[in-house]
Parts: sequence; C-alpha cells; structure tokens
Amino acid sequence: MINRHSHEAVLAVLAALAIAVLALQSAEFLTPANLMNQGRLMTEVALVALVMTFVIASGGIDLSVGSIMGLSAVLLGTFWQKMGMPLPLAMVLVLFSGALCGLFNGFIIVRFGMPPLIATLGTLALYRGLAEGISQARSVRGWPEWFAQIGQGSFAGVPVQVWILLAAMAVAVVILGYSRWGRTVYAIGSSETAARFAGLPVDAAKYAVYTASGLAASLAAIIFVSRVSTTRSDMGTGLELDVITAVVLGGTSIFGGRGTIIGTVLGLVVIQALESGLSLAGIKGDGTIVLIGVVLILTLLASTFAESRARA
Amino acid sequence: MQLAPQQAADPGVHAPVLSLRDISKSFGPVQALKDVRFDLRSGEVHALMGENGAGKSTLVKVLAGMHRPTSGTIAAGGSEVAFGSARDATAAGIAVVHQELLLFGEMTVAENVFSGRYPRSRAGMIDWGLVRRRARALLADLDCHDLDVDAKVASLSVAMRQRVEIARALNQNAKVLILDEPTAALAEKDAERLLDIVLRLRARGVGIVYVSHRMNEIFRISDRMTVLRDGQYVGTVDAAATSEADLIAMMVGRSIDQVFPKVEAQIGAPVLEVRGLSSGPLVQDATLTVRAGEIVGLAGLVGSGRTELALTLFGITPATSGTIAIDGQEVRIGSPKAARDAGIAYVPEDRGHQGLVKPMAIRENISMAVLDRLSPGGILRKGDEKRIAAEGFRRLGVRAAGIEQPVGQLSGGNQQKVVIAKWLETRPKLLILDEPTRGIDVGAKSEIHRLMGEMAQQGLAILMISSELPEVLAMSDRVLVVAEGRIAAELPRGEATPQTVGHAMTRRTGTTAHGRARP
Repeated sequence: MINRHSHEAVLAVLAALAIAVLALQSAEFLTPANLMNQGRLMTEVALVALVMTFVIASGGIDLSVGSIMGLSAVLLGTFWQKMGMPLPLAMVLVLFSGALCGLFNGFIIVRFGMPPLIATLGTLALYRGLAEGISQARSVRGWPEWFAQIGQGSFAGVPVQVWILLAAMAVAVVILGYSRWGRTVYAIGSSETAARFAGLPVDAAKYAVYTASGLAASLAAIIFVSRVSTTRSDMGTGLELDVITAVVLGGTSIFGGRGTIIGTVLGLVVIQALESGLSLAGIKGDGTIVLIGVVLILTLLASTFAESRARA
Repeated sequence: MQLAPQQAADPGVHAPVLSLRDISKSFGPVQALKDVRFDLRSGEVHALMGENGAGKSTLVKVLAGMHRPTSGTIAAGGSEVAFGSARDATAAGIAVVHQELLLFGEMTVAENVFSGRYPRSRAGMIDWGLVRRRARALLADLDCHDLDVDAKVASLSVAMRQRVEIARALNQNAKVLILDEPTAALAEKDAERLLDIVLRLRARGVGIVYVSHRMNEIFRISDRMTVLRDGQYVGTVDAAATSEADLIAMMVGRSIDQVFPKVEAQIGAPVLEVRGLSSGPLVQDATLTVRAGEIVGLAGLVGSGRTELALTLFGITPATSGTIAIDGQEVRIGSPKAARDAGIAYVPEDRGHQGLVKPMAIRENISMAVLDRLSPGGILRKGDEKRIAAEGFRRLGVRAAGIEQPVGQLSGGNQQKVVIAKWLETRPKLLILDEPTRGIDVGAKSEIHRLMGEMAQQGLAILMISSELPEVLAMSDRVLVVAEGRIAAELPRGEATPQTVGHAMTRRTGTTAHGRARP
C-alpha cells in the first residue's frame, strides 16, 4: 500500500511544506480570502486537469484543450451576441461543441490510429484557427449579472466555480478509482493489446476520454469568460502545458497505466500555492516558472527513488 | 590449469574453451546462482537445463558479461578473465543469440552482420562490395543461400533473423556461441534447419551452449548437459548415457511419471460448429466442429493460418464470410466482447503482450474479462473481485505471493495460469488455447496439461494450437492440420502420427486430396 501511494505521500508532504513556508513568508497567504481567491484562479486549469488525468492514464495526451477553450469562449460570445440566442441555450451549445471537438480528436485517434500527440497537435492549430476566424479579433462584453455570478460570485462563502470543481472532483475520483471504466482506462494505458484481447471496450473508452476532455475545456471556458467578463480568441493559450504539468507532478505516468485524481489535485495545489505564495513574497513571475520546473523534476525523482526503495 | 572431473577421461583432447568455477551471483537478498560449475569444450554442444527460475538466464548473462558474478572465477582459453561488460565477453570470443533478437530492423542483413565494424577500402570509405561478399559467404556457410543480404532485417521471418544473428556472431570470430531458447519461436521445419546449423558449427570447433526446454532437440544435438535447480549446480551428464526421465528428475528434483497425461473425457454434443469461415488470405473456407469434452489439436506450420483462424473465431479479425454456431445457435462475432458473450475464450499466443497487463496485479488480471459482471451500475464490487480472483488463484494453483502481486513478476507457467483463470471466469463453452505451454518449464507444463484434461472432463470444448507436435499428438482427441489458410486434413487420434500430420502440414493445397474445391 505504501509503495502504491508513495508519490501522493511525497506530494502531500511537499504541499504542506510549501504552504507552511509561504505562510511564514507572508501574513496574507493563509487568510480565507486569499485561499478562496486561489481556488477561483485554479478552477479552470483544475477542471481540465481532472479529465487529462484519464487521458494520460489511458496512454494518450490531449494538447488541444487550450484551443478548445479559446474556441468555446469565442463561440459563447458569437452564439449569444451575434446570433441573438438566449444565453442559457448558448452555454449548452458551447458545451456541446466542446464535446464535439473532443469527439473529433477521438475519431482521428481511434479510427486512423494516429498517435494522440500528433492528432491533438493538429487540432490545437485547427481549433485555434477557427477561434480566430470566428472572432475576427472582436471581443464580446456586457454579460448579464447572473452570468457573472458563475465566475465571480460565491455560495455559502465559497466561490461558485469551486463548488463546480468539487463536484467534478468527486465524480472523477469515483469513476477513475472505483468504476469499471476507470479500470478499463488503466488497462488500456498499461497494455492496449491485452485490454483488447480481454474484451474491454477499448475504442469506446478512448472516444469517451477525449470527448470528456473537450467538454471540460468548454466548461472551463464558460467559467473563465464569466470571471473576466470578456471573450478573446487567444484565451487558454498554453493551458495544455499548465494542465499536463499538474497531472504529471501528480504522479500520473506519461506512458499511461498509472495515476490518481488525488495526485492530480495535490499537484494543482502545490503549483497554485507556489504561484500565489511567491507573488505575495514579491518574487517575479519568471522566478516562479523556474521554481515550478525545479519542483516538478525533484518530485518525480524523489518518488522514483521512494518506489525503487520500496521494491528492493 | 585444473581439470574438471568429467574431463579427466580424455585430457587434452577437448580442452575447455570456457570454464566456470564456483560462480555465485546475488541480487540484494536474492541468491540467483550459488557455486555453479560449468565447462565448455570446443566442438561440443553443451545443453544448459533447468526449470524457469533455475538460474539459466542469469548464468547466460554472466557468460555474456552482462552480470558480474559476486564470487567465483571464469577462465576463457585457459586464462582467467573478468568481464566488466558485454564488450569484454565479445572480445574473449563469446557471442550470445538472445531470445529477443537484438538486430537493427531498418538496416540490411549485411549491415547487421557487420554491425558498425565495416572493412574500409584504401580511400577510407566503407568497402560495400566486400561487406556484401563477406556477409554472403558467412550466410552460405550456414547453409542460408536463400537470404538476400540487401533485404531489411525487419522484413525477415524470425528464423531468418536468427540466422543473421548467428552470422554476426561468426563474423566476430566467436569461439563460444550461446543460444538462448533458439527454437522457441520457430516452426518445426525452421527448428530442424537451426539444429543443422548448430551441428555444422560444432564440426567447425565452436563450443555451443544450448538453452532449451525441448527434450527431443536436446537429446538429438547435445554432447553433455548441465542441470541447474534453484540457482544451484545439480550435475553434468553425458547425453549418450542419460534418459529423458533421468534428466527431468534432475531438473525438478522428483520424477514425473508422464509428461503428457491424457485423461479420458466424455465427448458430448457439438459446441462449436464453423462452416466456410473466411477472413483474409490465411483463413479460407474453414469448416470444423469441436464437441463438449473434446480436445481438438490444430497443427500446422507457423504462418499456415492457425492463429489467424483463432483470431477470427475470437473476433479480433472478424469473418468476412461463413457461419459460426455455438451450441447450435448461430452467432455473429465482431469483437472479442461478442466472442466472450457467445461463450468463446481465447488464451493468446503472446502471453506477455496479448494475454496479460503485466504491471497489474493478479487480481486485476483475473477480473479483466468479467468487469461488467462485477460492476452492476458501473461501480466495481471490490469484494466480489477479490473473491473470484482468490478462487481462480487457488483453483489453478498459481504460485505467487498473493493476488496483489503484479503478474509481470511471475514465471511463465504461473502467468499462463493467470490467463487461463481469467478466461475460465467468463464460464466459456469453448476454450481456444494458442501455444499454451510455449516457454514454460516441464513442471508447469504438465500442470497445464493436467488442467486441460480436467476442463475437458467438465465438458469444456477445447481447441488447442501448438507447434510442438508431441504435445498435439498426446493431448488431442482429433487433429486438424492447417496449411496455407485451409484445413488440409482431419485425423482422428488413432491416425495422427508424426508422419501423417507432418505430411499434411507440408503438402500443397492444390494437390490435396481432401482439399475442398473453391467455387
């Protein structure tokens, strides 16, 4: 049991350590207001990272999530303002189109056997291009008050989007850790051939994870638009890297077959704590990126070491 | 120089080219080899025997310079040597042909034979003409005139690649050639040819260490045999003065009464009825029946279409025409899941790649084909999963630390039991076993044969594919011979002999009396 969860243990210690040090550095860090605000800021990346955990555990990758987020943001503005749809309908359609983008990724990967890295590198460009073409460099503003509540409001003292994130986490934990679909994802990630020979629905599972990934990116887009009250076609640029960093820091094997939602959540917390704590401590953004890179490499080394010790 | 006792009889005639004394090797707390002795004379074939886990591979790796022994001495050509790396062993004239061939697939045969050490012309350029001529000469020496030295290695069959690897070893002037299970992946005919090559090399004075599980081969070609058990040296014997039973007793530490126990089972109604099944070039118009309690052997050369027929029945490559019926009901099989639902189970040829998810626990592998049954509403019932895994584990006598051990850590025989346990859990009506005992040691092999007998007695219909003719003949109630994608002959148990089956395997479909005419 200890070696199976050694990575999560290493991360939990690291997260606690980071939070303790940062709390000593700055009095504002450990205040409820700052913590709630951090939760608000990390929700978009976190939602996508939850699904990315499934994608990477299945032995795949989805580089197009940032572009799907940008396209979804642009479509939300277009559906609502340009085409005059009711906003709730526009939101549903945006979620639908995000899922469709993901389904298309799955289609290229399953049907043509294209490596996920190449397939989603292609759609990264394709979806971003569509976003830019549709937006014509115009942003949409003037969102109604109720819509702003999603990204800016609170419920019971906790930001609305954090509630959404918590619900998504609970669902993800159950599916990956306790359902047959989660087991199928791990089996595919470890050995796709053996999973197929065991009669597992390999193709269906792949379609499902990529579709869910697109859906998560479009949900993140709606929350993001609500939080910043505007749409731009370059929204979500580089999102894929933040997401993959958190997932890998969380202990999901980039080769598939291993990874947990708890690990991803801890990875997200460590990154968010470092970003906010360091900025409160007056360290510039460049320094933060360097430190996150160092933490990523050291954590993976530490857990590899712990694992080899546990095995010996 | 000290002479080993077994050499005292004819000193000087066969000086050892390689001599190991009291070799021990431990990995942390695990003692893989303990005080092992081994002598190889030039011009002899020395078989290295033992069950899986006996220490054969570790010893081979010590000889190849890949493992440094913890204690003990190695002498090559009379002087003591210490191998720090595989390169040192190569320099001392030791070449190894591993089970997994280590060739460059995208390079040509000639390039692989030279592997980087090319002869140069006077201008300092690689002399490709010489490279080709030498490669051709080396292969001709091995009686491989039919190999194109400009062909890419990736396009060759396993048998051909093996010859390329042997040619590479000879090109390095090897005095010692170690062959690790060279015939495991070969069909009968290719194996024959390999044995000829081995004998040819022996005649040229090369000392050959031969690792194999196949008894008939060992007795045909070896001069002496050294047996290891649990990492310890058991003994070295002369082949001429040893029987198969003696050798098995040395390997397992007890005598096995019968290598292939065939139990009588009540043969019932037809379970599988296939009519005119076709899929691709290697499954053509196959018609066959397997009855409850019956073991039907599917013989044929590698590439004849045996495995392809199994893959079609199992839905990996669905049939393009023809019908499949289970228990008299016609079924459509478009995927492995459909096959499972129809009551067909398939234990594949490639255990490590197709049969198991190696990093996963025994429990997770056993439950893999019945996950949907274990998760009504989607949530896995872990208690039920543990129960069925523990049951399968016990029923098949898997030897492991427990159901949580990753299957990748098990021996071949125990891995195979896990695959069988997984499929028995689906409660199949027909069990297809593809090379069920390939690469498995004698003890586990006879256990699997015993299990097959038991399963047949319980009314399971079994279709067994095997490249090992003695296994097919001993286990089958009926033998079907596949050649060029067609079922070339059907022989009842009484009529199936090495001659009749061998003849059916190799004759051309066009001249087959039993061959069905295509419309």
